[in-house]
Amino acid sequence: MNGFKYIGGRLPREDARDKARGRFLYLADLPSDALHGALLTSPLAHASVVSIDVREALELRGVRVLTFEDAPDTLYNSGEWFPGQNDHPDETLLTGHARHVGDRIALILAPDKKTAREARDLVRVEYSALPPSVELHTAEDLSQTLHCDGVRSFPGKIEYGCVDAAFSAAAHVESSTISTQKVHHAALETHAVLAVPSDNGVLEVYTPCQILFGVQHVIASILPLPLSKIRVIRTNVGGAFGGKQEVVFEPLCAWAAHKLGRAVFIDTAREETIISTRTRAAMTGTVETALDDDGRILGRRFDVTMDAGAYLTGSRKVMMAMGKKIPRLYRIPALRYDAKAVRTSTTPAGACRGYGSPQIHAVTEIHTDMICRALDFDPVEFRLKNLVHPFDRDPTGAANLGNARIIDCLERGAAAFKWAERRTPSSSGRLRRGAGFACCTHGNGYYKTIYHDVSGMSLRIMEDGSAVLRGAVHELGHAAVPAMTLIIAETTGISPDRITVTEGDSLYDKYDIGCQASRGIYVVGECARLCGERAMEKLCREAEALWDRPVRRSESGLIIGDETIPIGEAVRQIEMKRGTSIDVTVEHRPENNPGSYGVHFAQVAVDTLSGIVRVEKYLAVHDVGRAIGRNFVEGQIYGAVQMGIGMALCEDLSFDARGNPSARNFDKYHLVNAPDMPEVEIILIEEGEEGGPFGAKSIGEISTVPVAPAIVNAINRALDTELTHLPITPAVIVNALRKPAPTPI
Amino acid sequence: MDVHFTLNGENMSAAADSSTRLIDMLREGCGIKSVREGCGVGECGACTVLMNGDPICSCVTPAVQARGCDVTTVEGLETDGELDAIQESFVTNDAIQCGFCTPGMILTAKALLARNPSPSREEIRRSIAGNICRCTGYIPIINAIEAAAARTREENTAPL
Ligand code: FES
Ligand code: FES
Repeated sequence: MNGFKYIGGRLPREDARDKARGRFLYLADLPSDALHGALLTSPLAHASVVSIDVREALELRGVRVLTFEDAPDTLYNSGEWFPGQNDHPDETLLTGHARHVGDRIALILAPDKKTAREARDLVRVEYSALPPSVELHTAEDLSQTLHCDGVRSFPGKIEYGCVDAAFSAAAHVESSTISTQKVHHAALETHAVLAVPSDNGVLEVYTPCQILFGVQHVIASILPLPLSKIRVIRTNVGGAFGGKQEVVFEPLCAWAAHKLGRAVFIDTAREETIISTRTRAAMTGTVETALDDDGRILGRRFDVTMDAGAYLTGSRKVMMAMGKKIPRLYRIPALRYDAKAVRTSTTPAGACRGYGSPQIHAVTEIHTDMICRALDFDPVEFRLKNLVHPFDRDPTGAANLGNARIIDCLERGAAAFKWAERRTPSSSGRLRRGAGFACCTHGNGYYKTIYHDVSGMSLRIMEDGSAVLRGAVHELGHAAVPAMTLIIAETTGISPDRITVTEGDSLYDKYDIGCQASRGIYVVGECARLCGERAMEKLCREAEALWDRPVRRSESGLIIGDETIPIGEAVRQIEMKRGTSIDVTVEHRPENNPGSYGVHFAQVAVDTLSGIVRVEKYLAVHDVGRAIGRNFVEGQIYGAVQMGIGMALCEDLSFDARGNPSARNFDKYHLVNAPDMPEVEIILIEEGEEGGPFGAKSIGEISTVPVAPAIVNAINRALDTELTHLPITPAVIVNALRKPAPTPI
Repeated sequence: MDVHFTLNGENMSAAADSSTRLIDMLREGCGIKSVREGCGVGECGACTVLMNGDPICSCVTPAVQARGCDVTTVEGLETDGELDAIQESFVTNDAIQCGFCTPGMILTAKALLARNPSPSREEIRRSIAGNICRCTGYIPIINAIEAAAARTREENTAPL
């Protein structure tokens, strides 16, 4: 028992019944008399539109066509979520200069979807092909052909300590080059958005998004409307994983509705969601580590190139987020992180679960195993010697690491996984078995970064003792709403089924910076807890004043003198006799941004003939501070492992020399399905984190961070290879085994 | 033309031509919104319905193929507002996160348990191989199907 009534328990989700009954409706399920918008996108990676002939399309009944010639040429950046962030703007609503396969050329509107798609097929576009730019190493030289802003690349640097001295003093220097691929988020709900011109000049935008106020901001930067006239309403979300964090079709849809004075609905098929939205950013990184004789890290140097795709989007932010994770996992006395984001004629990258952490941890954790192999260190011992300790400071001046329990994670995990036994690879017939693991860290909001972090909510305890928590909560399926419910239940004693949590509507909600930066529990959840606490304080204070007797709280209400009064009755009396409601507002600014930590262990069996990898055994250990809902935390981890195995082994959105995508649907883009999914054991370390609600911190993003490197390390151990370019597909393995010996890097 | 078929136990007729997909006829002609498109090419299972008891992808099935058939969607599983054992089990075993894959997953499980009341975990995994879930990692879904099977067996063997 943890001393809580609800926290740490297993609460069924309120929306699960409706979902099981098919009654939970997503945007595309809602009735609407909006014009349907079909996107006309570029079939070529790089081309300019010579002519566009819409005459035939316009002959169909009710068809309207908006092309790049009709659209404003205002540049924007889809990853900018607050005015003044000055993310380099290089994207327009529609374009006559296509920069990737799937770039938006025109929007064809019709009274129904079928007609819209038919009309789209009747639009004749003549393109003049331009040379595509798909290679990272030539991207800077070709940048002028893609964009005329004169920017070759977007550099970023993080440096502290005496890096050169560390390397000259080193007993050993090891280096690795590791690359990760573009990954499609694959939320099962494809992208959709509805914009409706409404009363009082307000434009309503319905979207299954992650950052309500970010959508509002980008739209306001393009349309001649103030923020107050743009109402963004979050609709039910069928999965997001960062893919719905940046705006994608929202500005275009809003503009079309505003221009035509008609409601416009854009709904996309899987192909458009794969090639025309965002991806996890691909990158390639070289890391060098300077070590002393005992295997202590003296310094690290990085040289990272990130593929932003056709537009910069939030990729530079992702690139910087990657670098900032480096000094928060191992004690690194000197660091130089040199990175640049380049633009290529491929699908734009952006936010994706982990926001750069899966990429940078793939680099560092695969590299760390290679160091151990080269210098004959045990990977557990080596890491234990170098991992951060609780309350270490961040040498870059960022937030303190907080109660960083990575060492507990590794020790507990290594024992439970029987690392000492499993570490030795074995083979039987064609199969080779090996085990591997990876450590990781991720953040809890934006405190002490260049961004601000604030969450606003209010809680009203009603006259019958039930409660409504009003906030811009974004439920993506990850249990944000039931987690808030549990927090309010715990702080107020009101039972969860009598609590309603509202979700994002920019017209009514207080400002919250959205579902990003793994801040949902540590920041938003703490805001909810403060609401519960302040509401109960007010209730007790008012009751004391009204009854003029000391007031205590109990399970069933308030104990006033020797009487127990139910909460609802107390609220009624207070409202009537003291003229005040139990309605409190809290604006919460976090005072730390501690690290969350985790270690994942995997055992794989590799078929040396086919190259097929089976993940046979899996253990995830996480320092979550405290689980709010145990089942919610487990659910995040299971799903994250599915996504991470995909990144390690099969998911890949690559582009050929002409810039054509390798996949446009799930026939070519392979996701891990049930037969390929291992059983996953979970150990939670719950040592509490100050500043989080009941000691809780983030889990949703970090849980996918260590998966790919853990699996790659297991494969390399099983096969005695040095595979470093993700994904490790069967073809990669078969190729590697054909070679006489592993090629040193 | 009109396609006559049985939808969740009731006679139904809906307009379709030879190019109409079953998913569109169900969603647009019959108002069944639980049948959803995740890929449109038969690869994700979000659009699964039961046709004469067999799970099929309605996105790659011509609507006219439903003629004279028994089509079941998740709406057809409850009786008088009471959920089917599988639906109940999905709710109590945390098998539902965003919910987008859920109706298709439940219907596939329904067909499995009708065929095989005591499937092993491996058999469950194989039976839902064509249903993609990006949220749950499948584990709670497999647990839910296992639990539903156990509960149904218990109910069937319990003395009256
Ligand atoms: S929508 Fe039919 S299988 Fe994906
Ligand atoms: S619950 Fe979201 S896809 Fe399965």
